[in-house]
Amino acid sequence: MATEFSTSELMVVVGARELHDGEVAVVGLGIPLLAAALAQRTHAPTLKALNELGVADPRPIELGVGNADARLWFGAAFFGSFIDIMGTCLHRGVVDVGFLGALEVDQFGNSNTTEIRNPDGSLRRFNGSGGANDMASNARRTIIIARHEARKLVERVSHLTSPGFLSGGRARHEAGLRGGGPSRVLTDKAVLGFDESTGRMRLISIHPGVTHDDLRASTGFDLEISRDCAVTVAPTPEEVRLIRELDPHRLYISGE
Amino acid sequence: MSKIRTLPEAAGLVKDGAHLALSGFAISRNAVAFSHELIRQGRRNLTISQAIVGLDADILVGAGCVRHLVYGGGSLDRFGLVEQINRAYELKRITTESCSSLAVCFRYLAGALGVPFMPIKSLLGSDIVERLRESGSVHEMDDPFTGERLLLLKAMQPDFMVLQAQMADEEGNARVLGPLWDSKEAARAAREVIVIAEELVPTETIRQQPELTTIPGFRVSAVVPLRHGAHPTALYRCYDYDSDHLREYVARSRSDFDGYLRDYVLGKSHDEYLELVGGSRKLAQLKADPMYGY
Repeated sequence: MATEFSTSELMVVVGARELHDGEVAVVGLGIPLLAAALAQRTHAPTLKALNELGVADPRPIELGVGNADARLWFGAAFFGSFIDIMGTCLHRGVVDVGFLGALEVDQFGNSNTTEIRNPDGSLRRFNGSGGANDMASNARRTIIIARHEARKLVERVSHLTSPGFLSGGRARHEAGLRGGGPSRVLTDKAVLGFDESTGRMRLISIHPGVTHDDLRASTGFDLEISRDCAVTVAPTPEEVRLIRELDPHRLYISGE
Repeated sequence: MSKIRTLPEAAGLVKDGAHLALSGFAISRNAVAFSHELIRQGRRNLTISQAIVGLDADILVGAGCVRHLVYGGGSLDRFGLVEQINRAYELKRITTESCSSLAVCFRYLAGALGVPFMPIKSLLGSDIVERLRESGSVHEMDDPFTGERLLLLKAMQPDFMVLQAQMADEEGNARVLGPLWDSKEAARAAREVIVIAEELVPTETIRQQPELTTIPGFRVSAVVPLRHGAHPTALYRCYDYDSDHLREYVARSRSDFDGYLRDYVLGKSHDEYLELVGGSRKLAQLKADPMYGY
């Protein structure tokens, strides 16, 4: 019998599958943290998680309210500064993967976490870059997490906070960026990747139960959907059990 | 010679128009009591810098003390956004240099080393760099050795840094426990450091383990021994963040910010503030478990 799972739980599992044993990942709270923890408990026991504010390889026993919550620092192997993590690890080039959240992502994987124009023309300011631009610029690859809505998956971001493939093709390389750019976009409807030569977003798999029409209508740019497009592999009962053990109060895995 | 000062005396060192680097990161280790005192003293036209802003910067901006903000971003984590900063930005009540957090740290590092700028491989190709160009704090060049494209960030040397620490001695030798975020580089870049210390300890305690000293006393101008100076934000190994009060701050920040300042800040001493937020009973609930640090 198939296991019941929420969309957030599916996203955690997909995120975990993108992480490999032996890798170093900068993770923030929420789906990224749970994805890293799940990967460590399954196929990637030696994955090392970094918290940008100066924490390496923690073993938290509780979830908290954000990166600055000491609950996420518990059991760490190392405390240092932002520069220790984001300078001497990330900028130095030893971080394999960084997770990014986004208000908007465009077809070239550029993301916006800074500000949105309201329909009336006024500005709405959000959190800004924090370490997001640093990760997008310098990590070997990034994984972007976004809600799948036509106003969030857009042709062109209204403010380019963190670089994907910029205007596509060789633009990222020509701008002088060292990191490899986004490898995946995980949404509540699909898993997306990028064409190697054009840098344009392409569909990898559709989540179970999402129709092609729904996906098309929820994407703000032209996304090619082949008729035999793959369906995202559902979580195993063991994966769901582990996720609920990690987030027993369902702070980050409820919904849908 | 003792550098011990009262909170009003230490805040009085920071004059109108000064550049002040802050200590907090979202909901942790904010020098909140120091922000309160600057508001009470009616400070104006400050430049504030911080890798990730928290309540310490937000309340200063909301109270009208700030003219210019150099920051990487920030929020109050799951409690909410920094509404005062975001509104001031939207309404252009303050000017900003919106960077990435690593860029702010690198600007402090350059300032700390006394070099005029620091190259970085972040920000290239982004809209962030377009806006920073207008502020004159970035410049692009090719590496003279390899030809690689670099972004140069202008060094930052704040007039003051306020450092919330767990302990210090009367000479100003200060020890911060837990992750340091931008505090180490900010303190070294600043011309003067003001330490807010949860606990005043004998200098022998510091000198038994000097490798734990975050900033040596000769770089520090003033030490303010003060209990719960970071409330409602957390101080690692001392006390947890106060969820109730952070929720009240966020709720009233949207609709009744002036009322919040009247109720908790203006005309109140730090001790009166601690009574108003729940007194010894509340503070006992927040006390950190030494096993966990929170």
